[in-house]
Amino acid sequence: MFIDNWGMFLLMREFMEILGGSKGLKLFMQYERFKLAAAVRAALECGVDCRKPPNDLVSLLFSIARHKGLLKEGCQVVNVPEPKAPPPQAVEEYFQLVDDVVIDKMCEFAAKQPSDVIPEEEAAAYYQALMSAPFYIAFRKAIYDKLAKLYKYPTILDVGAGTQDPLDILDVCETRGARCELTALEVDQRLCADLERLAAKYGFNVACGWGRLGRYDIAVVQNVLHWATDPLQVLTGARRHAGRLFISQGVVEGAGVGFVLIKALGANRPLSWREAEALAKQAGWRLARRYAKYPDYLALFK
Amino acid sequence: MSLATRYRCPTCGADVSVAVTPELLREAAEKGAVRMLARCPRGHAAVLTIDQYGQIRSALPVHEQVRPDCEVTDKAPMSVRARLAVILEKGPVTDADALLLEKAKAAGWVICV
Repeated sequence: MFIDNWGMFLLMREFMEILGGSKGLKLFMQYERFKLAAAVRAALECGVDCRKPPNDLVSLLFSIARHKGLLKEGCQVVNVPEPKAPPPQAVEEYFQLVDDVVIDKMCEFAAKQPSDVIPEEEAAAYYQALMSAPFYIAFRKAIYDKLAKLYKYPTILDVGAGTQDPLDILDVCETRGARCELTALEVDQRLCADLERLAAKYGFNVACGWGRLGRYDIAVVQNVLHWATDPLQVLTGARRHAGRLFISQGVVEGAGVGFVLIKALGANRPLSWREAEALAKQAGWRLARRYAKYPDYLALFK
Repeated sequence: MSLATRYRCPTCGADVSVAVTPELLREAAEKGAVRMLARCPRGHAAVLTIDQYGQIRSALPVHEQVRPDCEVTDKAPMSVRARLAVILEKGPVTDADALLLEKAKAAGWVICV
């Protein structure tokens, strides 16, 4: 896996620590590669022609595998040996999720549309399990604390908040002794209902849709753009309501099997870092600082 | 043909007869011993350890005061079973746990009676 801007990872001490330092990160990458190859092999064994993927999900899997050099001409899959050591404990559940959602169901994905393979209720449960996984929480908090420095902003708009993100932001603010006034924006009505319950307990605001928003010091768009049907509209909306924008977006250049996992749960097309940056500019934002291009595009706009 | 064997209820001392099936004996022969749950006529549960000859090596009482009313089903994916089991055992520690439990119930991964 190529990592642009190693400094980003050096800043994200907590995330690295939870993986077990650079050795843990290396092991994580080895498992990513191993699972990706296993998923491709599963698809081919289920009779899929690598030149004619049956749907977007399998097509995404093959394109990521080709990009990583794992899928060669003539549908040959590179042999990736299973790492000898177990994955870092913090990401063990994540790789099991990959097994459960991607590899074990690959024959079904080869024959049906993703939405017909994983029922809505199960997708919601998988989503909650993924969002609240300790490694992902540590990753987000490291970004909010070390890079975005959200505790410096009195008013924050969390765009496409989901159920875990607002809790992580508030935790970072609290740890830093800052009082952040947070508004969580969510357009998915079911997530919105969950958010409202959390908001009553934690004291943040919820906006179910773009209609009733105020003005905020910063908008945070963390891994939202690939879920949105219109990513430009998300960034334009943020522009109307906030003075700054922090984007954290897993991008296709660094994408691994995790992207196939979220695609299986209903995500749309992954973007490249250039696309994410171009969309932000198109929405009227000016790049203030780019922390990383990939595997996660991390940038601050004004 | 089943073999009848006896044990003393570790809770009330009642003399109880249980049937040990050939399958259990076979399993005990393979593993060295096998465990089974039995109840005395007064309803006290005990875990019996039975050897390959059908002899009861131990009978330990089962404390049922903390009997869970929810359980993780076979439908639950392996990836979240451990987390769900801990949530059911200790109760949801965080709101994320509570939400996961709620979604897991909706997905049929956890059933409660």
